[in-house]
Amino acid sequence: MGVTAVTDSAKFSAAALDELIAARQEPEWLVDLRRAAFETFCEKALPSRKEEEWMRTDIRTFHLDNFEPPAELSEIPADLPEGLLTAGVDLGGRVVSYNSRTISSELSDELKQQGVVFGSFAEVLESHGEVIREHLCHAVDPHFDKFSALHAAFFTTGQVLYVPRGVVVKKPLHALSLMGAGGVDLGHTLVILEEGAEATMLNETASVDETSPGMHCGAIELFVHPRARLRYVNLQNWGRGVWHFAHQKGVVDRDAHIQWTIGALGSKLSKVNQHVGLVGEGAECEVNGVMFTEGRQHLSYHTLQHHQAPHCHSNFLYKAALQDRSRTVWRGMIKVDEGAQRTDGYQRNDNLLLTKHCRADSIPGLEIEADDVRCTHGATTGQVDEEQIFYAQCRGFTRNEAIRAIVIGFFQQVFDRIPVESVREALGKSIAVRVREYE
Amino acid sequence: MSEFVRVAAADAIADPGKQVFEVEDQIVVVFHVDGQYSCLDDVCTHDDGPLGDGRLEGCTIACPRHGAKFDIRTGAALSMPATRPTVCHEVKVEDDAVWVRLRS
Repeated sequence: MGVTAVTDSAKFSAAALDELIAARQEPEWLVDLRRAAFETFCEKALPSRKEEEWMRTDIRTFHLDNFEPPAELSEIPADLPEGLLTAGVDLGGRVVSYNSRTISSELSDELKQQGVVFGSFAEVLESHGEVIREHLCHAVDPHFDKFSALHAAFFTTGQVLYVPRGVVVKKPLHALSLMGAGGVDLGHTLVILEEGAEATMLNETASVDETSPGMHCGAIELFVHPRARLRYVNLQNWGRGVWHFAHQKGVVDRDAHIQWTIGALGSKLSKVNQHVGLVGEGAECEVNGVMFTEGRQHLSYHTLQHHQAPHCHSNFLYKAALQDRSRTVWRGMIKVDEGAQRTDGYQRNDNLLLTKHCRADSIPGLEIEADDVRCTHGATTGQVDEEQIFYAQCRGFTRNEAIRAIVIGFFQQVFDRIPVESVREALGKSIAVRVREYE
Repeated sequence: MSEFVRVAAADAIADPGKQVFEVEDQIVVVFHVDGQYSCLDDVCTHDDGPLGDGRLEGCTIACPRHGAKFDIRTGAALSMPATRPTVCHEVKVEDDAVWVRLRS
């Protein structure tokens, strides 16, 4: 049966959805999920600046119909980027996608024997459909806004990691999403760690062309079941023409732990909702954010630390350095439910302004309904201290070397919290090469 | 350096009046007051308010969010809560049309 809802998009239409569904042999529950999401996509308008969440993020120049649902790949370019996060890393598996289509998927025999599942969405759906059904769109709400609905209706690719109960995966797993000129990425990342499992996943994005337009409209769902431990790294490094819209959520259960590192370097405009739900007693999360912006980039991150159970600990540290006319918006919320006593929540956002016309907005917030909690939040924004530059120049540094050292020093606090050396190296190098000389 | 881009016929914007346009991936607002055209970023430097939705009085535009005022000819901030100018772009009238060139 076809879709009856009417959309304002000529490209992401009912006919396009019918075509996508017809081309894939997906179970009925997933088809129903897509159709319900499409209804929402049709009902909702693109967000406007009258909404609190979008007040500081202007998407009036974003035109959805400049893009279209991902087509089957006719050819794969020869020289695709390798990504930045895996230099010198012995990987346990790797999944690569290009323009929303999986082009390679590998997992070591050793991990396969342990029952670990890691691969493209389509292949894992075929082999472990019930696990996906129990988790897909249970963290991220497909009906939240037009973008989440668009994603849920039309997503074609993604990576799924499933680690069975008690299995410790020592080698990191790598997911690389690539985009070509004018491309669209609707990737969905799903990570499920059963009770007592442990794993590290490195997830990154890159564009084949640094300036071409593109659109990412994606979702990340991380399920960390009781006593499991997940280290998850997400590097957003799209080219400067890419619109990046994402809903990301981690669900952390009793005595489980997630360490989530975010590097945001690319895209033209990013609007990311990053939530962590601490749903079981004693759950812990540590989120590290590194942002570097230049040109007219605009990165907007809305974070939520949602304490839903007692004795949970959350710690968010976001640092951003900005140059040129770029812009960051960070809006953080610690939400503590009534029953979540003995909560320990911390959030901090530091911004370093490297030029006269860049701008950083920080809006930390607290929403507390329990009466026995410790919640701390704060934000700082400042410029590079000329005296520090002068001091360094007196000792033989050029002005540029001095600024670069100060910027790297600014991020060091966050780098120190990242346990994977290749990630620290990649972020440090990527930022260092972007820092220019200022007067 | 950007090129001049035609945004509207010269008589399409009332005097006094204003209209919002998309030029090279940016949203700008073109003003027409006392026969003179000018163009600003459609952004209040206080809180990103859309100046194009504001009240135009003489050569002053007031942001609809918090009332900050800007000089439409220069982009200068004239009143709190804005303290920094918004970007003022080049405008010319040629062939009975209004043309805008963006300043970076």
